[in-house]
Amino acid sequence: MSEFECITTEALEGATIVKFVDQRVMNPARIEALGGELLSLLDGTHATGIVLNFDGVSFFSSAAINKLIKLESESKKNGLQLRLSNLRPEVRDLFSYTNLDSLFQIKDNQFDAIESL
Amino acid sequence: MESTTQHWRYDDHIPSEPDCCATIVGMVLEQLEKNGWGNKDTFGIHMAMEEAVMNAIDHGNNRSPDKTVHLVIEICGNRFYSKITDQGEGFDPSAVPDPTDEENLEKDCGRGVMLIRNFVDVVLYNDKGNSLELTKQNSEAEA
Repeated sequence: MSEFECITTEALEGATIVKFVDQRVMNPARIEALGGELLSLLDGTHATGIVLNFDGVSFFSSAAINKLIKLESESKKNGLQLRLSNLRPEVRDLFSYTNLDSLFQIKDNQFDAIESL
Repeated sequence: MESTTQHWRYDDHIPSEPDCCATIVGMVLEQLEKNGWGNKDTFGIHMAMEEAVMNAIDHGNNRSPDKTVHLVIEICGNRFYSKITDQGEGFDPSAVPDPTDEENLEKDCGRGVMLIRNFVDVVLYNDKGNSLELTKQNSEAEA
C-alpha cells in the first residue's frame, strides 16, 4: 500500500503486518507522521490484530515510543490486539528499562506474533 | 572544532531546530565508530544525546529561534563526555514522575529523562536544571 510514507503494511493471516520505513525513527516531523499513519490503520479495519515488525529498526526515540503507546490505547478501544516483534536487543532494552514490556506484548518474531493474536 | 580518531572535541551553539540535533548526533556516531566503540554503547550514547538535545530544544528553548543550545562533546578514546545547556528556565529532574510506575506508563512525560540515566554512566544536572553533563566509558574496551 503506497498511501503511507513512514510505514509499509501487509495483510497476513488476518493480521496487519506493519514495518517501519526509517532505520532510525528519531526525526520529530517523521514521528508525527508515523503516529498519524499508525492510528489510521484502525479505521474500518477487519484485521484481528496489528503486528509491528521492527526488522531493520536500529533506533527508536522516546517520542516514537509515545506514538506506540497511543496506538496501543486506541487499539484496545477498537477491540484490536497489538503485538511487537523482531526487536534488536538494544531496542528491546528500551521497553524493559521503561517497563513498557508490561504494556506491550513483545514477541521474538513475526510468526510468533501472528500466532499469539 | 577539531577532529582526530583519538581525541575529538566539539564546542558550539546550535539553533533550536530538530534537524540540528540529527546532524550533531550523526557526527557523534561517526566519531564513536572511528574510535571502535561497539553497538551497545553507541546505541546508549545515541539515545542519551538524542533525548538530551531534543529536550533542550523542545522543552528548554521551546524551539525559539532566538535561543540556542550550547553543546560541548568530547570523545577521547574510550571516554565520552557531553555538556548540553539550553537557555530555558530549567527544571527539577527529581520532580519528574517515574514513567515506569504503573499509573504513569501511558503518559508521555519523563521517559526521555529516565532513558538518559539508563544509557550513560553519569548524569549531572546543574542547580537551575538547564544544563546536564553526560559521561560514559566504553564498556567493551580492554582494561
